[in-house]
Amino acid sequence: MSSISSLNKVHKLGLFGDFQDKNETNLIKIKEIKNINLFQIVKHKKSKQDISNLKIDGVSLPKNLHSSSSSSTRIIWMGPENWFVFSTKNLIPELENFDDQDFAITNLSHSRCIIEIEGDMIYEVLKKGSPLDINKLNEGDCANTVYNGITITIDFVSNNPKIIRILGLRSFGESLYHSITDACLEFGFKSI
Amino acid sequence: MLYIKCPFCGMRSQNEFAYGGDASVKRPELNKEISNNEWDDFVYNRKSLRGKHIELWHHVSGCRQWFKVQRDTATHEIFKTAKMDEQI
Repeated sequence: MSSISSLNKVHKLGLFGDFQDKNETNLIKIKEIKNINLFQIVKHKKSKQDISNLKIDGVSLPKNLHSSSSSSTRIIWMGPENWFVFSTKNLIPELENFDDQDFAITNLSHSRCIIEIEGDMIYEVLKKGSPLDINKLNEGDCANTVYNGITITIDFVSNNPKIIRILGLRSFGESLYHSITDACLEFGFKSI
Repeated sequence: MLYIKCPFCGMRSQNEFAYGGDASVKRPELNKEISNNEWDDFVYNRKSLRGKHIELWHHVSGCRQWFKVQRDTATHEIFKTAKMDEQI
């Protein structure tokens, strides 16, 4: 778990962009998700382990382009036999039970930035920088794509209200944040 | 702009992919004695066909998997995509 925010120099709280004369509840909300454990789980090609019954903190590994979650843990599909596990819990004791003949597990808590955006216009924000066909996607879906040339992962957390999380490499975090906030300016946004 | 159907993620924009060259090139058998010309053919010489061509593409900003694409090099029409262990 990284105790230093990847966006601490750029994420300033307040109202920005075209927020005047608008109801604050209708503005896009932007926040950084930090102090969270993140693990990558990769199943080895030659492994014959059946993953259908496998659970982490009670959450099963999702299928292609989907996510699964509980109140404390969220798992997203990253590629064939490849998942990201986010949790507010310390999952290390549970993950140590995974056989290293079947799985490679890497702690990536320090190496990603996660930006959560919420609001009715967030799909328009995504469309400004990403070629992904966002309208086809729903709550519980996830996708890897690009945003203004930066490789990102989009996790569709909720449909009502519309909430998505955008993951990028930590070193691209500030650049990604500026890209997203620039796209939000015309709608007005609140950093929280 | 091409739209390529990744066998794992579905239809995506070309922005997410990287071209990986001719998918029909076969590496010489391990430990087999081969000539310099055969090495040249494997490493450098390509047919650069005009028409249907099987290529490698990498979904570098997606699932990070390599896969095969059958594409017309003249019209850019994509006929079929397949996983690496599948035949086109």
